[in-house]
Amino acid sequence: MSGTRGAHARLARARRALGLAVAGRGAAFAVATTLGLLVVGAIVDSFVVLPMPARRALLPLALASGALVLLAQFLQRIRPAWRASDEAVALWFERRLPSLHYALVTVVDPHFTTVQPALERTVESAPLESEVSRASRAILLRPVVAVLVAVLVALALLAVAPDGAVARVTAPRAGDALVRAGSDARAESDPLATIVVRVVPPAYTGLGVAAIDDPSSVAALAGSRIVVEGRGRGVTAELDSTRLVRTERDGVWRIAFAVPARASGVRLRSAARERVLVVEPYADSVPTVRLDQPTRDSVLRAAKGTLTLRAELRDDHGLAEAAFEYIVSSGAGETFAFRSGRVAARGFAAGVREGRIEGTLVLDTLKLGPGDLIHLRALARDLNDATGPGQGASETRTIRIARNDEYDSVSVDPMPPTEPEKNALSQRMLLQLTTELRGRASRIGIPAVQRESRRLAVEQAKLRRRVGEIVFERLSEDKGEHAHFAGDGHEHGAEKPLDPDQVLAAAERAASVDPTRALESEGDETPVVAVNRPLLEAYNHMWRASTELETGRPSGAIPWMERAIEALQRARAAERIYLRGRPPRVVVDIAKVRGSGREKGAPSGREARAPLDAERVSRLARFDATLGMATAEPFAAADSLLLLRLSLPTNERAAALALDAAADAVRRGGDVTAALQRARRALAGAPLRQDALTPWGN
Amino acid sequence: MPDFTFATAQYDSGDWDSAPMVPANLIDSVARYTGIDVAPSGVIVPLGSRDLFKYPLVYMTGHLPVRLSEAERTTLKEYCARGGLLFIDDHNHDVDGQFHRTAWEEVARTLAPLEDLPNDHPIYRAFFTFPDGPPTTSHELNGWGDNLVHKHLQAVRQGDRIAVLYSSKDYSSEWDYHPDNKRFLSVDNTKFGVNLVVYALSR
Repeated sequence: MSGTRGAHARLARARRALGLAVAGRGAAFAVATTLGLLVVGAIVDSFVVLPMPARRALLPLALASGALVLLAQFLQRIRPAWRASDEAVALWFERRLPSLHYALVTVVDPHFTTVQPALERTVESAPLESEVSRASRAILLRPVVAVLVAVLVALALLAVAPDGAVARVTAPRAGDALVRAGSDARAESDPLATIVVRVVPPAYTGLGVAAIDDPSSVAALAGSRIVVEGRGRGVTAELDSTRLVRTERDGVWRIAFAVPARASGVRLRSAARERVLVVEPYADSVPTVRLDQPTRDSVLRAAKGTLTLRAELRDDHGLAEAAFEYIVSSGAGETFAFRSGRVAARGFAAGVREGRIEGTLVLDTLKLGPGDLIHLRALARDLNDATGPGQGASETRTIRIARNDEYDSVSVDPMPPTEPEKNALSQRMLLQLTTELRGRASRIGIPAVQRESRRLAVEQAKLRRRVGEIVFERLSEDKGEHAHFAGDGHEHGAEKPLDPDQVLAAAERAASVDPTRALESEGDETPVVAVNRPLLEAYNHMWRASTELETGRPSGAIPWMERAIEALQRARAAERIYLRGRPPRVVVDIAKVRGSGREKGAPSGREARAPLDAERVSRLARFDATLGMATAEPFAAADSLLLLRLSLPTNERAAALALDAAADAVRRGGDVTAALQRARRALAGAPLRQDALTPWGN
Repeated sequence: MPDFTFATAQYDSGDWDSAPMVPANLIDSVARYTGIDVAPSGVIVPLGSRDLFKYPLVYMTGHLPVRLSEAERTTLKEYCARGGLLFIDDHNHDVDGQFHRTAWEEVARTLAPLEDLPNDHPIYRAFFTFPDGPPTTSHELNGWGDNLVHKHLQAVRQGDRIAVLYSSKDYSSEWDYHPDNKRFLSVDNTKFGVNLVVYALSR
């Protein structure tokens, strides 16, 4: 049986070797596919400028294609080769080595158990290993050649293309238009065919250089520098009749200049032609400042206390400093004196675009008199050292000190109501919170239950005090009618008024006779006491509830809280007045509601549009004249459109943008109808067509 | 007969007429926002009357206890089975009030217990869209009644349709004003009423 084991071992080695060869072939095909696609992309890009999205998609596409090829190879070839049985491998050898005469298949057949020395000798002497080597070479030959061809083509491309031509497809970036393969040859005939504009923003913005490939117009922050680059020779440039300096290095010409104060055209000229580049500045926004406190203008009775100041600041490129500014004006009639000052000034680190300033203004130190005015606002300055600095200010708040003679007419309301007043919880809300606490008690543990329970007890006591106040107010109102109730300690005949504490104590005594049952009515009680009776019950139940909560027993508080709610309901029901009687019959005038009554009105007549003004007519004539050149002389047509754009008044923003787009489209070639139609409509003042609805739907 | 006539349910036990301006106000809204052929004034229909079947939506409100007679229960049951929608609104806005307790008991006894209606139910998109469910009322926000802002309406559903819709939000107070005064509101607060009508007519 040693011969059989030996045959199996040799077959296993052969399967591994063949599997490796097949895997190598699959990997080589994948590499060849990836490289091939990149090479094809680079070659295509040297003839036709691939747009940035296509270039960005090329590398992922090539890698995905390589992975797809590898997957297909794995499923169709590699996995079957690795999983092939000994019998299958033996048959593969039998097919390639007829001299075996099926000896190998017979030896590895598991049903064949008889020892046949002759067969084993035949198998042992067969050149299986050399056949495997031969087959592996054959398997690897084609893909290796394919990879080599791809690599050779890539190397050849690298040799003839300028630096960065391959990077245009492997790592595309804005501004790499000048490094296309073949750009030198094109630049010889037309140095203005391809240009790159780099916008260098002012240092204070902290922004990097932005590169734009082959633009027709450039918008740049005021204070920026513009660098125009291209390949070739003999290029000159002019901005507003001023010749610009040109430098050359490594076959690339550069023209640098500062962004002009208004939209202008840079005329680039070569021996072959002229090209216009529109440069438009936009301003650095001044900081926006929002004064949060004081929240409103106020009139103060006395100039005492402290004003809290707070403001939010924001800038597009960076805040430099901010402060609150106040102006105090004193006097009357035609005699006024002014004082001013700044408080809470602070600076900001470079690059901070949002911030806040806070401070206080102590009124006592301002020595204000009756009738004096304080004007308060927040100021912020940005980092703009190129065209600024820009200074933003918040709206102004006015604080006035009331004069003595206007106390009876001035509403002195310097502050909104305090928070605790607004935050009183209702009895039902307290019950809900207590029930919830009871549900959570087993999970959160005793200390947490006690802590939360005491907090609820405070709220419960607060609400109880409020009910007590209501009772006190009513009892006090009713004292003229001699209101009292049993057990209140009020001696009949004694007209001495009770103070609030005494009334509350009396109410508590009256309500705490037996807290488990409702108060029994007394025969001699007044209606007001009758109305207050359930309130007094509620007051008493609330006391029991708050006692339970203080001792950390929410379960014990719940029944008392429920009784308190029930008592409050009765108090409210006692005062509810119900409407009865026949309901009025209201007839709705449907036609009137729908605006379709007898009064039809007259539809507005159609009127012809107002004729265009002379300026517009002239601009449209220039535009129409340009149309004739759009196909035959696209570059000249694009320049004409840009010159027309420069002649527009500044408020024709939509038309300027439409002309920019039209010039770009004409320069790129292809179907320019839509872009030109939009530009003409914009020039004529007609509404612009939009491809999609804006968020506002118009 | 118009496509839609607003009907107010009259029942023996309580103050069914406590919100007399609601019908006119909702009729105005239906006319204002929709093309539905709507009758210019509402009708009052006894809950035990066979006339109930003429009206796809019946509005019922009040403060006092609701105790239905056997005839009223039978008619109401048949009304809902035939596809009618009964909208009950608690004019007390009080879950401890007598109207709330008794109305829930009567609905459970007549049809089935009321259950919370999910806030993404189609009724909140039937005409106007209310992404957060039923609109809150000023009475809720002012803490009147039971001091609660109710997150849901309740309903008895039969199949995929609402048979009884119940509100503790007190729309009866919210909508009880003359329609001519709607022009003083920055936002018309009766729009949900239009959804009720459109839902009742289209389901």
